[in-house]
Amino acid sequence: MQVYLPIAEMSVDALLLLGIGFGVGWLSGLFGVGGGFLLTPLLILIGIPAPVAVASGANQTLGASVSGLIAQWRRGNVDWRMGLVLVVGGFTGSALGVQFFVLLRRIGQVDLVVALFYIVVLGIVGALMVMESVRAMLRRRRAAPARLHEHTWLHGLPFKMRFRKSRLYISVIPPLLVGAGIGILSAVMGVGGGFMLVPAMIYILGMPTSVVIGTSLFQVVFVSANVTLLQALQTGAVDIVLVLLLLAGGVAGAQFGAAMGTRLRGEETRALLGLLVLAVAANLLWGLVTPPPSPFVIAPLP
Amino acid sequence: MRRAAARLAAVLLGAWLAAPAGAQPPPAPARAVPALVTELSQRRVEITTGFTGADILVFGSTERPIGEGSDEVLVVAVGPPQPMVVRRKVRLLGFWVNGPAATFPEVPGFYAIAGTRPAWQMLPEEARQSNRLGLDALPLRAVGAQGPAFRAALLELKKDAGLWVEDVAPVAVTGGRLFHARLPLPATVTPGAYRVEALLVRDRRIVARQELEFDVVRVGAAAGIANVADRRPMLYGMACIALAALAGWLGSVLFRRS
Repeated sequence: MQVYLPIAEMSVDALLLLGIGFGVGWLSGLFGVGGGFLLTPLLILIGIPAPVAVASGANQTLGASVSGLIAQWRRGNVDWRMGLVLVVGGFTGSALGVQFFVLLRRIGQVDLVVALFYIVVLGIVGALMVMESVRAMLRRRRAAPARLHEHTWLHGLPFKMRFRKSRLYISVIPPLLVGAGIGILSAVMGVGGGFMLVPAMIYILGMPTSVVIGTSLFQVVFVSANVTLLQALQTGAVDIVLVLLLLAGGVAGAQFGAAMGTRLRGEETRALLGLLVLAVAANLLWGLVTPPPSPFVIAPLP
Repeated sequence: MRRAAARLAAVLLGAWLAAPAGAQPPPAPARAVPALVTELSQRRVEITTGFTGADILVFGSTERPIGEGSDEVLVVAVGPPQPMVVRRKVRLLGFWVNGPAATFPEVPGFYAIAGTRPAWQMLPEEARQSNRLGLDALPLRAVGAQGPAFRAALLELKKDAGLWVEDVAPVAVTGGRLFHARLPLPATVTPGAYRVEALLVRDRRIVARQELEFDVVRVGAAAGIANVADRRPMLYGMACIALAALAGWLGSVLFRRS
């Protein structure tokens, strides 16, 4: 069944979009991440123009994260204070990111820069995840005692604030910077950034894992809402028909994935997710280095 | 289809009534028939949420029998102009990146030509070029990077997208006088006013032409969404946020498995 996407100005098979939504939602439920990092490249792969894929990806991430946020909030796993600090950073970062995106669109390098961002970020995150989970699996055998969190120079900065739920008393500068960084990536890559935010919260900020997922979802919901609004205003590339079709498949898939995820062990899940992330990065890299089917590309003048 | 046939009849009747009756000694009824009569199967193509492209039928008849050496027919359709950028991919540090670009400020978004024979066989080269009959006769001026390769790439990619169509199927002739041609509009056509021209060629000269128009318009939900997104981006952005959040919440309620 073909459906016409009014902003992308093309018609796509609705079942294909529902299927992509379901698959990505299933994986995101399984691994507890938004799945935007898989969605945007897949959309570009099926021929959706990169600006529309990125802008709509951010909007889809918003919808996909809302249900997760509600569930975490019910269980009291959201550190509001930390979330707000992250959101303040995130708003600044995403505003900068959207400006950067507009500039890229004008000089015609959206596809390249989006792909490069994906390759670099996914490559690093994927490699770290795999390494970390392998180390954790080895450590489990030896059962070494672990500290609450590592203290680094980041914790010695001024403007300290108490985050009761996270059991932290740290400077607001690191969370602000983390939030801003994720905001930029969110605008350029059309992702929520959960897969980067979660490790950053654990390893840089030293937050306990119990509140990390809920708090990251909080940040993702608000920042992706901000990106959606800014993209609608600046590039007009948010396609709501595309978003709703993806969400229809996605929310169903996420529930099945989440049910399955509870049966998997933490380290194994993270190793699998890391491998998946690396595979996406490798695929995009392959697309950039192989000769293109046509030496030219055409596009309407933005 | 029936409406279009009725319109054709009306056109024929109108032409017959409008023929100069009193000016000259009454001409024979056959002479009152214009050399070329053409009509379109529809004057409006609607882009709905289920739009997958459309076929427009151009049909008509000629005064004399159609055939090589006698009357021949050419049909040309041109869509609204659109500025396009053509970029060459260059290799940079092992990556394929967008390199030099040429901007074509005035490019028809859609172009289709069909004839009982290809235009270059029917008409002298100068006539074909000056009347812009054929993809190689389109006046495509580039700003920025120059070179024939950019123009060739534009032609090639537009053809691949089905937006520029040249002599894919000849104009079909029935019973010697009735002709019809199909204009295939792909799902990616831009909304706007489209101009269709039918030309009658006799002895390698254009002896009659008739211009028709049809509109490609977005309707229904597709039109509403595109309009709001274009004119009220703030409202549209807010609505996107609200709808996505609602869909996410609704989904978690419907599909909860606990």
